Amino acid sequence: MASTTSNGTIQVKKKPLLQRMQKYWGFYLMFIPVLVFVAVFHYAPMFGIRYAFYSWKIIGDPVWVGLANFEKLFRQSQFTTSFWNTIVFSVVKLLLNTGMAVIISLLLNEMISLKFKKLSQTIIYLPHFMSWVVTASVFSLLLSPSENGLVNQLLIRMGLIDKGIYYLADKQQWRVWYYIINVWRETGWQTIIFMATLTGIDPGIYEAASIDGAGRWQKMWYVTFPALGNTIITVLILNLAKIMNLFESVFVLQNDSVRRATNVLQTYVYYQTFNSGASADYGYTTAVGLFRSLVGLALMLICNYASKKVRGRGIV
Amino acid sequence: MAKNENLGKFVTPAGLEVPPPPHFNKPKSKYTVFNFVNGIIFVLVCLLILIPIWKVLIDSLDLTTGYGMKLLPTQFGLDGYLSIFTNQSLLQPLWVSIYTTVAGTFIGLLLSTMGAYVLIQWDMPGRTFFANLLLFTMIFSGGMIPSYLVMRAVGLTDNPLGPILLPAINVYNLVLMRNFFEGIPKSLFESADLDGCTPMGMFWRIALPLSKAALASIGLMFAVAYWNDYTNFKLYITNRNLYNFQMKLRDMMQSSDLPEAVGSATENTIRNACIITAILPFMVLYPFLQKYFVKGINIGAVKE
Repeated sequence: MASTTSNGTIQVKKKPLLQRMQKYWGFYLMFIPVLVFVAVFHYAPMFGIRYAFYSWKIIGDPVWVGLANFEKLFRQSQFTTSFWNTIVFSVVKLLLNTGMAVIISLLLNEMISLKFKKLSQTIIYLPHFMSWVVTASVFSLLLSPSENGLVNQLLIRMGLIDKGIYYLADKQQWRVWYYIINVWRETGWQTIIFMATLTGIDPGIYEAASIDGAGRWQKMWYVTFPALGNTIITVLILNLAKIMNLFESVFVLQNDSVRRATNVLQTYVYYQTFNSGASADYGYTTAVGLFRSLVGLALMLICNYASKKVRGRGIV
Repeated sequence: MAKNENLGKFVTPAGLEVPPPPHFNKPKSKYTVFNFVNGIIFVLVCLLILIPIWKVLIDSLDLTTGYGMKLLPTQFGLDGYLSIFTNQSLLQPLWVSIYTTVAGTFIGLLLSTMGAYVLIQWDMPGRTFFANLLLFTMIFSGGMIPSYLVMRAVGLTDNPLGPILLPAINVYNLVLMRNFFEGIPKSLFESADLDGCTPMGMFWRIALPLSKAALASIGLMFAVAYWNDYTNFKLYITNRNLYNFQMKLRDMMQSSDLPEAVGSATENTIRNACIITAILPFMVLYPFLQKYFVKGINIGAVKE
């Protein structure tokens, strides 16, 4: 498509758009199913956001209320509690899991016996494949106040308590166990990404450090740890962007006695909509959901910016 | 003799004895205190992971209720499992779990690979627009209630197609697949194009056969997500006949409304046996497929 103009320069002309599109018609055809799925399951719900400005008890027509839902939302103590719980649960969980994963990875990296290392890795990845329902079931049996609850029996035998405690029904205890269960389930899986970084460190650097007289701890502190730094920041940024999505892990561990104190935004929306019978206002819960999505979007953009600064590329 | 006395000591040319530098003569042996303690730590970590699972396993095989601390069943019996596999109200959810997992994984893989394949056509008009259209769904969503209303409007509530179709479009997996396709040499596609191969032909004959490892790991990610799915069933399914096994398990843990026991299985035995049944497929497969499971996370996040 090169042509020479009057002053002698060569111009490369693109083919007309339609002609270029024609070449790719097969690809457009292949993309149609993906477009349909994305349209129905992701974009169609976005049009439903308008209900955030209506009051709608599902039977009857939506009534326009303007910003009343948002005014109501900030006056509800339930909403504020859920919002802060979302932030606190996610952040504490993220820091605990990442911290533990870094420690475990560093120790795993020092392991001499390769067989034992492999076996340990296989075992610590295991809980990640259990659903949250299974995880919650396992721990509700383990923490049960009955004489079959392992934790209570152990503490009774050690003489620390007299009779079984119902851990998951106490809001303080619930939080502690929520974090413990999360660490139990996710720490092992998180080590994968750190182990990948650790195995990527040039062994020559360790040798050089040895020759300079660095011991095991010095090598860990001055060579291994800085190498992990970038990965740690990446993991934190990637997960921080998603913290508003918290739902299933909290939902399956809740019970009636701690629900109000442990709700996060998603579970609050769920109970307000599907568990409050005829009084459920779909408009109000859509507004809560919109608030959640907007905070999530803001976090995503901040983390994307941070990611570009730190590692030179965004997260999406 | 004088020479031997100095062996292993640091003596300056002037004959002065000095202490060895700190890094010298460090024990090269594997049996240091650190390695020992490290080993112990990992034995403990592995025990902490395994004890809860072990406890459930032995309780599922134990026909006595009662004391919580034991290493092996006091009265061994398979009645817990027999109660599951002879009971229609438990077999039905198991069947729902199986077919949603198989169908969903298939559709999910199809959408991810086709979408990814289109996204690597760099010169295609509109490619960037399509990519952004997908990526935007990762940062913003309509939320739980609008999604529910759409699902209800299109007739996917109380319909097993709902929990099959909704998770099948997974942008994260699609992007992983695209990253993998990008690694296939362009020259392969170009020469196939010259030989008159159609886009669809290149997809089936070049892209897919060269990505078996990625297909395995992304397929496993889909399969695990479908088998473990609870949220989508909870939101979109109210008909008890359409519950999957996770829903049924959750129901049984919360109520005493348990299916009829076979033989001398206690409530506790059946509950524990259900938990084991829910994790069994992947626990059996996992040791053999571990590398594919692990690969999935590494395609996306670590390789830059």
